[in-house]
Amino acid sequence: MSLEEFKDRNIGTQNYRMLDLGESPKSGMEKFKQVVERSVKLELFTGLKVTFREMYKALFKKNMHTVKYPFEKMPIAPRYRAIHQMKRLLESGHYRCIGCGLCEKICIANCIRIDTRYDENQRKEVSEYTINFGRCIFCGYCAEVCPELAIVHGGRYETSSEQRASFSTLEDMLTPLEQLAEQSEFPGFGAISPNADENVKKTPLAY
Amino acid sequence: MSSVDMNENIVKVTIDGVELQVTKGKTILQAARENGIYIPTMCYLSKLEPISSCRMCMVEVEGVDGVILSCQEKAVDGAVIKTNTPTIERERQKIVKLYDVNHPLECGVCDKSGECELQNRTLEYGIDRQEFAAREQHRPMRNWGFISYDPSLCIMCERCVRVCNEIVGDEALQISTGGYKSTIVNVKSDDDCAECGECMAVCPVGALVSTDFKYSANAWELRAIPASCAHCSAHCQLNYEVKHESIDNPVEKIYRVTNDFEFSSLCGAGRFGYDFENRASRRDEAAFSRAVEAFERAENIRFSSMISNEEALLLCKIAEKTGANLVCDEAKAYQDFMRAYSRASGRRLYSGDLKRVAKSQSIVVLGTRIYDDAPMVKYAISTAVKREKAQVAYLHPLEDGRIRNIVTSFVKYEVGSEEGVAALLAATLIDRRRAPEKLLKLIDDLDIGYLSAESNVSEEELEEIKSMLWKRRRFTLIAGADLYAHPGAENIAKYLAVIERYSDFDLIIVPPASNTLGVSLICELCEMKEGYTVGYNAPGDFVLSALGDGDLDMPALNQQEGTFTTLEKRVVPTNAALGYEGYELADIAAALGIEMENVVDLTPYLPEERGFRRVEFDSLENGFGIDGSDRRGYELEDALFDSQELPLEPDELESFDGTIIYRCDEKRQFNPFTAKCSQLSAEEAVLKGSAQFAAAAKLEDGERVSFEVDGIHYERVFSIDTSMKGTVALNPTFDIGLSSFAVSSYRFSKAQIKKVGSDDE
Repeated sequence: MSLEEFKDRNIGTQNYRMLDLGESPKSGMEKFKQVVERSVKLELFTGLKVTFREMYKALFKKNMHTVKYPFEKMPIAPRYRAIHQMKRLLESGHYRCIGCGLCEKICIANCIRIDTRYDENQRKEVSEYTINFGRCIFCGYCAEVCPELAIVHGGRYETSSEQRASFSTLEDMLTPLEQLAEQSEFPGFGAISPNADENVKKTPLAY
Repeated sequence: MSSVDMNENIVKVTIDGVELQVTKGKTILQAARENGIYIPTMCYLSKLEPISSCRMCMVEVEGVDGVILSCQEKAVDGAVIKTNTPTIERERQKIVKLYDVNHPLECGVCDKSGECELQNRTLEYGIDRQEFAAREQHRPMRNWGFISYDPSLCIMCERCVRVCNEIVGDEALQISTGGYKSTIVNVKSDDDCAECGECMAVCPVGALVSTDFKYSANAWELRAIPASCAHCSAHCQLNYEVKHESIDNPVEKIYRVTNDFEFSSLCGAGRFGYDFENRASRRDEAAFSRAVEAFERAENIRFSSMISNEEALLLCKIAEKTGANLVCDEAKAYQDFMRAYSRASGRRLYSGDLKRVAKSQSIVVLGTRIYDDAPMVKYAISTAVKREKAQVAYLHPLEDGRIRNIVTSFVKYEVGSEEGVAALLAATLIDRRRAPEKLLKLIDDLDIGYLSAESNVSEEELEEIKSMLWKRRRFTLIAGADLYAHPGAENIAKYLAVIERYSDFDLIIVPPASNTLGVSLICELCEMKEGYTVGYNAPGDFVLSALGDGDLDMPALNQQEGTFTTLEKRVVPTNAALGYEGYELADIAAALGIEMENVVDLTPYLPEERGFRRVEFDSLENGFGIDGSDRRGYELEDALFDSQELPLEPDELESFDGTIIYRCDEKRQFNPFTAKCSQLSAEEAVLKGSAQFAAAAKLEDGERVSFEVDGIHYERVFSIDTSMKGTVALNPTFDIGLSSFAVSSYRFSKAQIKKVGSDDE
């Protein structure tokens, strides 16, 4: 179909072809005859043929197409954007977040809030951090703006809970310390490019 | 700015192809900025003298080789100036690059991030790599109390040092020179600088930050509410910056105070004393109906001058309706003083203002501990001293070591002899060619010998004051709070009036408390009568209190809209920074049958016959123009009367002997509201005296003492201040709650000081 034809909205001049369906049964007797004719000819099994074939494959050839959620789960794409994770520094185990507040600023759903304070070590400490997942639209801006690769999206998509506040504080999102060795970088929004090392320019050291 | 007709005062310059008409004497930078042409700077600040150290403001002038620094070069007639050429652009880029050498890349946590001038310039000039390097120095952070200093962030623009010396006059900050090792040092940190926070306000980077605010919020999270400081009569422009308190508490709180530091300044009370709000979260209906009843039966309505003009007017309306007496202890004495002044001077308001003080070449200060009473006046005096080389005579019974650097001659007079001193000043300062016969006769008849002996002001000291005027122009006389409640106040006022009238002196009669000038203009004040008293931020039988300790809660001045009358004779607006859930005075007025909705609806109805204007509240601006012109509110109109009463010869001067106590809230404290603020509440109220006082009163440092002044019983620790001299001790009143607003007697008083517990021994 050419574009011109496609754009032709004048349906009055279209050539419709009528299907030859024969006469519809009119009297009760004629209707009864049609039912019997169709049943005896076993037209139903023509339609069920595909079903039976797939059933056979699943039951006897171990070719099952569904997963038994929640006992089984599909693998998700690495760049999938579900509940956030807060990463830790691999060396010290300290959280990466420096409390700059850029995620709070950029958040278009206005759902991130961060409290910071001056701590005993003269550093900026994140005293509290929350994301209101009732409002979060999982756009990924927070992960993209984070200068420390501290907040990223994770793969946890099951977000039903008794409390809206669950899994939304810093402690909930932080990598557990015992799993620090398994912590991996997020390849999605905000990730550094694979050749980042080549692009780093060093400050000249003249002394 | 309106163009001046006289052609000699106008020069024509062309900047970036735009032909401008500029007042003669302005620099190229000022000319450009006043006309909205951008020239970048780092070290320049409008309120300071230029030092041209950053060289960012370079421009090219046609016919001149090389570049010219626009911050110090005056605009000359016919000059053709280019502010931005490729050469200049390259040079500026280099300058910013040099500023960026070893500047820590900690914008993510820096408090200044988002409002940092170095950050702005770095992005503006697209500096994305560093070509220069320097070996980093060890630069430990410093904590100066209210202010923290991080030398590694410092770019040595010297603004802080200059503002501390030129404006504040504290001379606390200095530069420890050493090339790349240079840092700012606080030479007064141990014996306490003024901690006004001016250095912190003008810092273009995050080197000087508030210790309390540090790392608690980012610049872009805070919402700035333009307001006026409530604490003293200067009512400086400031912004309360608010944000929700924490994740768990969505209620807003004030995080910090900022101001338009290009053109105005703040003192420590304004900058650190901001959270004096009253957090009454509900409407107490029972208390409200009791309050309405109390107003209906009240004989007296007693209030403090921590009040907006509108509420003062509203109290007038309530008093009119219920027939009550209006009593404002602080403002009554001032009102009487101003009226006596008007009868003698023939004008409603005094002539001086702070701009003129800062330009004065001779300044006489009488009857005020200026450092504590009016910091803004002190700033102006210090500016005059630094820029105009002004001579300052400071007449007060108490020497003040903290302002030794700005005072030329310190004249100590006897406590109680202010009337005599005023007469002596009049005899010294009045221009004999202008004064009328009668006044001259009065002055000639003065018994100078007696006055001089009784007040202890020698004729040599008066000669010295007279010599200060020699070959100088622009004089200012500043009178303060010691005078208003003096028994001879009326006469003092008249002496000041004749000095102003018959000499070249400007006069400032500094209002003693927050909105005293406004109250004294708006309300018809009376003495207390016997009977039931309603106190509004003042003691009474039924107390409405913004401190939260009364019978009905009221909003504090950072929770109210309204206007204040400043010592600069301006009416300036303020806005509510925080919400308030409880009842306001307007609700009470409405319950008493006065039809009104908001208090600020009364702004146009402030008495026009006293100089106020018929202006809606919403049309009042609160800020400064691009050229630094004061656009805050409007100026009160002065009025001239045909009246020239003359002062009388002073009666016998009262003499005070023995231990004397001087009522004075020092430094950042002004009233119970400043004492309530989280950052200032740690300051303990102590009776402070010299070693001489301690010997006379037989006290030792750190002893608990009790005494009674003005019917108020005080129990305090006595502390010896080695910088003080004489037998006068300082007694603060900021810790005694609302009763401090009801104290209005003469500030010096004799007191019997007892040691606490000494009776038992």
